[in-house]
Amino acid sequence: MKSSKASKFLVYFFLILGSLIMIFPFLWMFFTSFKTVPESMSIPATIFPSAFRLDKYKEVLNNLPFVKLYWNTILLVFFRVVCAVAFSSMAGYAFAKLKFRGKGLLFTVILVQMSLPSQIFLIPQYQMVAKMGMANTIFALVFPGIVSAFGVFFLRQTYMSIPDEVGEAAYLDGCNQWQTFYKVMFPLTGTSVAALTIFTAVFAYGDLMWPQIVNNDVTKFTLSAGLATLRGMNTTDFPMLMAGSLLAMLPMIVLYLIFQRQFVEGIAGTGGK
Amino acid sequence: MKKPRLSAAERREENWGWIMVAPTIIGLFILNIWPFIQTIYTSFCEHLGFGHYKFIGVQNYVDMFGNTEFWKATWNTVWFCVLTVPVGMILALFVAMLLNTKVKFKGGFRTIFFLPLVCAPAAIAMVWQWIFNGQYGILNQILGTNIQWITNPKTAVLAVAIVSVWSSVGYDAVLLLAGLQNIPRTLYEANSIDGAGKIRQFFTITVPMISPSLFSVLIMRLMASMKVYDLIYMMSDDTNPAMADMQSLMYLFYRSSFVAGDRGYGSAIVIWTVGLILLVTLIQFWGQKKWVTYDI
Amino acid sequence: MKKIPRMMAAALLAALLLSMVGCGSSDGKTHLTFQIWDTAQQPGMQAMCDAYTAQHPDVVIDVQIVSWNEYWTKLEAAAESNTLPDIFWMHTNQLLYYADFGMLADVTDLYDDVEGGYYQNHFSEISLGNISGSNGRYYGVPKDKDNGVLVYNKEMFDQAGVAYPNDDWTWDDLVDASQKIYDATGNYGYLAYLDDQLGYWSYVYQNGGYILSADKTTSGFNQPGGKEAMEFYIGMQKEDWCPDQTFFTQNGAGSTFWSEKGAMFMEGSWSLLGAIENNPQMDGKWDIAKLPKAPNPVHTDESLDQDGRACMSNGLCYSTGAHGKHKDIALDVIKFFGTEEAQLIQGRSGAAIPAYLGTEESWREAWDKFDYKIDVDCIFEQFDYAIQVPYNSASPHWKSQVLDVLNQIYAGNQDVDAGLEKIENIVNTETANKLAGN
Repeated sequence: MKSSKASKFLVYFFLILGSLIMIFPFLWMFFTSFKTVPESMSIPATIFPSAFRLDKYKEVLNNLPFVKLYWNTILLVFFRVVCAVAFSSMAGYAFAKLKFRGKGLLFTVILVQMSLPSQIFLIPQYQMVAKMGMANTIFALVFPGIVSAFGVFFLRQTYMSIPDEVGEAAYLDGCNQWQTFYKVMFPLTGTSVAALTIFTAVFAYGDLMWPQIVNNDVTKFTLSAGLATLRGMNTTDFPMLMAGSLLAMLPMIVLYLIFQRQFVEGIAGTGGK
Repeated sequence: MKKPRLSAAERREENWGWIMVAPTIIGLFILNIWPFIQTIYTSFCEHLGFGHYKFIGVQNYVDMFGNTEFWKATWNTVWFCVLTVPVGMILALFVAMLLNTKVKFKGGFRTIFFLPLVCAPAAIAMVWQWIFNGQYGILNQILGTNIQWITNPKTAVLAVAIVSVWSSVGYDAVLLLAGLQNIPRTLYEANSIDGAGKIRQFFTITVPMISPSLFSVLIMRLMASMKVYDLIYMMSDDTNPAMADMQSLMYLFYRSSFVAGDRGYGSAIVIWTVGLILLVTLIQFWGQKKWVTYDI
Repeated sequence: MKKIPRMMAAALLAALLLSMVGCGSSDGKTHLTFQIWDTAQQPGMQAMCDAYTAQHPDVVIDVQIVSWNEYWTKLEAAAESNTLPDIFWMHTNQLLYYADFGMLADVTDLYDDVEGGYYQNHFSEISLGNISGSNGRYYGVPKDKDNGVLVYNKEMFDQAGVAYPNDDWTWDDLVDASQKIYDATGNYGYLAYLDDQLGYWSYVYQNGGYILSADKTTSGFNQPGGKEAMEFYIGMQKEDWCPDQTFFTQNGAGSTFWSEKGAMFMEGSWSLLGAIENNPQMDGKWDIAKLPKAPNPVHTDESLDQDGRACMSNGLCYSTGAHGKHKDIALDVIKFFGTEEAQLIQGRSGAAIPAYLGTEESWREAWDKFDYKIDVDCIFEQFDYAIQVPYNSASPHWKSQVLDVLNQIYAGNQDVDAGLEKIENIVNTETANKLAGN
């Protein structure tokens, strides 16, 4: 009884401590964004701003076309997710459940791609897009993420954990491989597809270099690339940088807080189903 | 040699297999594999400018292996992996286990730990850069220290590693938590009747049962850490005196290939990095047979 | 159950829609892209384009901004795949590399129908140096010119009882004032941050040294004048009145000055309009002065005898690709950009000080809208002894290596003298390789 109480206390202690560490940077960002530059540089630092000034927000809204950035980011995430889920489910299923010649070799391609650093593709992929005459478009943003090696790898694991008997039963019922896949197997992977969706979205959202290379205009950038530009404009005006960061994150955080169950459980899975 | 003949059903299965992997494989080949093959070739070339190359054999590799900056970057990358992967995974597992106990506000805690994931890494890098600031940063003021986190050669990699772990621990924990929640309670109950202690339970039930999740997280984290670039790009700049002690292999690649225009040398760095990643991955896949259990 | 086909249909549809976005609009006009890297200059560039399209209604020019960090990566990739923007800014550091590779259109004869010797008549020697390829042909139309000035905080000088910087100021006065201000106010004195054009370059030339010899084949980092200046410049960070490089990396010299924690720093003329606009709280508290001169310049054969004075001047130019789709129209546009009319538009908008001789003063008009007046004259007077920024065709190769060694020196891992020797070797070796290769 006693030990369980002590352990309960410890669990709360660590959870609260951890939460504080996780939350603190956000609070600091919030408070800093209302400060003036000299105020942000005062020693000792003041936690709270002397007044909740919106100057830096106005400044940052003048410097970056935020509405455009939001919209581009939404489009990018949407198209990347749709492509990644569709193609990766198919390939993941085939690699996990079907026998075909060259399977080992082709799966090696997946593994090799995952180990390649994306920076080396920047120039070749930019040239592909430029030759297609598609630079500086939304399509260009989506382009490198049309297929996802990680998605295939991840969903293959999922399909492998589905017992072969499930597929065999469907096959005996007269389904062909495609029907077995999309009528029987795919619906069983909801959790993993949700996880892949979130993973793909997060990755697309965070991608810094590609949008800056392939698109010229800030109005064709995503939020992350826009923030990098902001940093390039003024490396040390931290209140403004923090205001920009908050504006970039806010809608995403609000969405996340509203749908946090779906969001987290997309990855966490829905229990022992 | 006689080829075993495929039955009609097997042939159909094979066709479906090819069709279903085709979009991905074709896409990957054009987008990634072909550029990579070109990178292998250019690593044996000198870049004359504007995509014109001259074959020079292994000279880039000779230069690379003789360059202290390169070895420093390799060490920085390995050190970054050591700081992020084991520590990050232990922390993630710890958080996952805390969240798997019966606590109030579990959803709230989970939400908080997961929060960095939904934030742009560019924003995260900026706020941490500000927290770490040597003169006006809040961290030094809290700790009462005077450490130039980002510009001191001794702490620069550590600072980047802290940000990396901070932003990924929630994601990893949530993945592991899913594994934990899939463990039937009956297993523990049966086990505690045997009188096994909590620590033994952890090693005999928990770890084997979540080993597939652990393995995925490990591979993912390791690959990401070996390729670390964005965080350094955002948290530092080229007049940082600690640059040589901070830059990862991929950052060195960026500076060689993009800034200095020396693409042959940059490609050699990439080949080396990929070789390291493959080596580590192969060891992992070989090692997984010893500790990962797929049949539950 | 029908999820997958529906999704694929959606994806296909999306791909189609997206590909529509990519296609150029078909209004029968010629669409040109004009790529620049400075957001602050966009209005000025747009105004010039508007002036052109007003006379040529069949042309549309789209001004696009690419941040400096990605500009050269993209431009080179674009040049390789023959997708260069129709018009773009060229920088002295890169021009030789592009020109020698045949990537830029030769514009030497562009104005032959207007007047013979147009370039020589209307642009300074430095401007012409900035547009010349190794073969002496011109590969761009001069755009602007700039230099660096000393920005100082009057209030801090007053508090320390030090007279404001004047034309006779030397390095000794700079050090002396810095010490007095630091002692009296606790604020930093001169902010000697690691930079080339806004840092050590002008010190080297003031001291009778050189970064590149007049023929651009050898480096002078480790020659008497250069070495002494480098030691002085780097050494300033050891003084208590100057922060060290770790400070500058994290906080920047500009932010330190504008948040009133430092008394002086070197700033480029191109940043001053932005500075006065963004720092209204500093009105009346700051001004600019000419750079201090070297007290005892070294005299060697390579020295430019300037009595210890020097400032570094750079200038951009407008270029177009050698094989562009709309090369003829693009050439016509940049031809216009090099006229008095266009250069006046540029100057008045405040974008930059025009390169066209006689139009420089138009830049002053951009200052009229500010109530607070600073001593803009000193920028113009400094052009009398300005020196072209030292680049050669190998500079893209040595620039980042030089920075690496300087970082090591500032970090204390590298002894200054040995470091300078190393830098000189790097520049000489890369330059020799480049010359041998051509």
